Amino acid sequence: MTSTLKGITLNGSAELVAEFFSFGINSILYQRGIYPPETFTRVSHYDMSLHLTTDPKLKNYLTNVVSQLKEWLFECTVQKFVLVITCLQTNKVLERWQFDIECDKSAKEISAPREKSIKTIQDEIRSVIRQITATVTFLPLLETPCAFDLLVYTDKDLMVPDKWEESGPQIIDQSEEVRLRSFTTSIHKVNSMVAYKRTDSA
Amino acid sequence: MDLEDDTTVLTTLKSFNSFISRTDPPQRLSEHSAGPANLQSQYKRSMELLEAADKVQSKNRYLQLDQQKKQMELSHKRARYELERAASDSARDLEHEVDRNQDLLGRIKKLEERETEATKNLSEQVTVNRSLRKNLDGLNRKLEERDTRLNTANQTIISVRDEIRELKQKIQNQDSAVSSQTVENQELQEQLDLQRRKYQEVSQLCQSLQAAQTSCSEHIIKIKELERRLALQEQDFAIVRNVKSEVAKVPDLEKDVKRLREDNAFLRESRENCSLLKEEVEGLRRKLERMEKAKEELMNMELEKERLGEKLRAWENIGQSTGLNIRKPEDLSREVIQIQQIEISLKEQNYTLNSRVRSAERSQSELRAELSQQRSKTLEEQKKREAQDALVRRLQKRVLLLTKERDGMRAILESYDSALAPTEYSPQLSKRLREAEEVLQRTQNHNTEMESQLTKAQEETGTLKLQLQTVELELESLKKQQASAADSSSSGTKEEVSILRQKIEDLEAERQRLEQQNNVLEMRLERHNLQGDYDPVKTRVLHFKMNPTATAKQQRQQDVEALREEVTRLRELVRSLQDGGAAVHLQDDSGAHAAASRSLSLPPSKEVLDLRKQMESSELRNQRLKEVFQRKIQEFRTVCYVLTGYQIDITTENQYRLTSVYAEHMDDSLLFKKGSNGSMQLMETEFSKTLGEMVALHLHHQKSIPAFLSAVTLDLFSRQTTV
Repeated sequence: MTSTLKGITLNGSAELVAEFFSFGINSILYQRGIYPPETFTRVSHYDMSLHLTTDPKLKNYLTNVVSQLKEWLFECTVQKFVLVITCLQTNKVLERWQFDIECDKSAKEISAPREKSIKTIQDEIRSVIRQITATVTFLPLLETPCAFDLLVYTDKDLMVPDKWEESGPQIIDQSEEVRLRSFTTSIHKVNSMVAYKRTDSA
Repeated sequence: MDLEDDTTVLTTLKSFNSFISRTDPPQRLSEHSAGPANLQSQYKRSMELLEAADKVQSKNRYLQLDQQKKQMELSHKRARYELERAASDSARDLEHEVDRNQDLLGRIKKLEERETEATKNLSEQVTVNRSLRKNLDGLNRKLEERDTRLNTANQTIISVRDEIRELKQKIQNQDSAVSSQTVENQELQEQLDLQRRKYQEVSQLCQSLQAAQTSCSEHIIKIKELERRLALQEQDFAIVRNVKSEVAKVPDLEKDVKRLREDNAFLRESRENCSLLKEEVEGLRRKLERMEKAKEELMNMELEKERLGEKLRAWENIGQSTGLNIRKPEDLSREVIQIQQIEISLKEQNYTLNSRVRSAERSQSELRAELSQQRSKTLEEQKKREAQDALVRRLQKRVLLLTKERDGMRAILESYDSALAPTEYSPQLSKRLREAEEVLQRTQNHNTEMESQLTKAQEETGTLKLQLQTVELELESLKKQQASAADSSSSGTKEEVSILRQKIEDLEAERQRLEQQNNVLEMRLERHNLQGDYDPVKTRVLHFKMNPTATAKQQRQQDVEALREEVTRLRELVRSLQDGGAAVHLQDDSGAHAAASRSLSLPPSKEVLDLRKQMESSELRNQRLKEVFQRKIQEFRTVCYVLTGYQIDITTENQYRLTSVYAEHMDDSLLFKKGSNGSMQLMETEFSKTLGEMVALHLHHQKSIPAFLSAVTLDLFSRQTTV
């Protein structure tokens, strides 16, 4: 575990980023009300109180996706990770949470751990998650029942695993974009942004 | 003797005392009788008396003492006497005692002899005793044994007796029990008999009940069979009705069938025609497309032809415009080659000229540089001189200032010296001096600093001026160079420079445009990147197959389909209910139809079932009532017909038609109408026309309808029957 060592290895970095995605997605699902709030419990991580779902199907889905994502992060073949929120009635995409991942490929060759303290990384992650929670104030309300999907932008030559398939980018028609904070583990850099459908055109 | 002495002593005492007492009072009386005249004498007398009293008292005392002494002596004597007696007594006792002693001693001896004998006897006795005791013990033991045996025997006897008693009690109890049980037995037997009788009765009743039940069940079965037959009959009725209605529809259906067959044939023919026409249409369409393509190509070709013609013309005109002898492209090429060769030669000349010009310019610039250096040196020296002049002036000023200060100080000092005493004010003066010196020094330092700053500033300005002048010189030199270059070069180079400038400007403009374009494109890229666009060549978007959106969509679809099905089902149900509401009776009568129609409906609620049951029961009741009423009415009517001889029918509202039993024809009838006031009026019929006389008589004259009717009956009867 990277928490006991002083440096960050590629494996540790992949794990940190995957963990951040897991908690981030849970937080977004709770904040946007995709699933009822009573299906979430509170856990403590990154020195703050986060929401985690108790729905078994959802948990299973998230673990599958995040574990595959961790593998891809280790291989440095993933470019973006997107959470898409679709309205069930109109089948239109209402929100898009996009996380750009820049991977330092030199870490694959040089296996020496890099000097960055876990505490700073956790502080950065905490500020990102806080900002995600704060963005809810200006995002338009999701009044209709919605469902979400997780997309991964990978390299073209990657082998598609068993349970995954290709899909479209699911871009919002007439969107407003807002860039959020980013954090870096010195091997992976994650930039966050949120795009939402303009309400006057909806 | 002593006692007598004592008594005499006592009596003398008593007499003495009595004598004393007598003597005293007469003395007192004598005192009083003398009288008070002579106190002294009295006093003397009293004194004498007193003395006499004292003497007497002393004598008394003396006598008392004598008496006491005598008593004491007497007592002594007595004591002695008694003692002697005692002694004598004791001596006698002693003697007696001695005698006794001797006797006793003798006795003792005898007793001792006896004792020895007794001890012997004792020992013998003791031995005898022991033997006796042993015997006794043996006897005692035997006794004890016998006692124990006796006791045991007694106990056994007691126990046996107890047992006997117990047994006797048991026997008694058992006897009582036996007796009670016999009594009970008898009672039970009596009860048994009673029960048997009852059982027989009950069995008889049961049998009768069973017989009744069997008959009941048979009746119930019969009723059910009859009900089933009724239901079947009703079903058959309903079926017959439906079949009739359907049969009525058959001819229409046959017509429809014929029509449809004709339409079918016609449509088949038309379909074949249609297919042929479609093929033709497709062929024509393809031709059209080809034609259009050909047209477009034609247009393009014509445009190209025009363009080429123009080009040709332009090319042909070149010869005319340039004024050269050009008719063919070969001439053009030749001319072009010639021009190029001329150009090359000119360029060579140009380059050589340029090289010369540059060398000249270089020498010029070197000279100018030397010039400028010289000038700068002169300027520097001028500045140094000026600086030194300034320094000199400053120093002169300083000197003046110093002299002034010195003069001032000297004046102050002289004033102080002249005005004041040295001893008193010397410390103050020295202090002031020191202060003044310090102030002086400070001012001097300040001065020097300012002067140094000034010098530095002046030096800087001097250097800056130098630089400026050098730059100006260079500028001038450059300008001169440019001017010379401009003058010295030929027209071709001027043109080249202008061309180059134009090129530079163009390139810069293009660069700016390209930069702006680049910025715009970068913004767009960024925006697209934010929106989520990707390069399909390099990236691929993946998602999990079983993702929540897909499952939610599926779920939604399923929900929608289910809702649609439910909607259709509900609509059918509503329709069926609406149809079923009109024919409720059919549903009640035909159970099968009801079952079939109910299969469409929703599972009925309790209320609905209750209401249906109530409805059925009420309808049954209604039916029964109707039947009953019908029967009754029928009976009543038949009775009326039989008794009165008229069949009364209601044709329309308030119109009654009477037909007689003895009517000759079927149509012979009388019509009565009930008026608004309740009275019956006879209407005109064919039959009533024949009865005009009776009408006049009974109705108009007698105003009695029953009489009229009975008359009619009698008349008809008479006609019918033959006497």
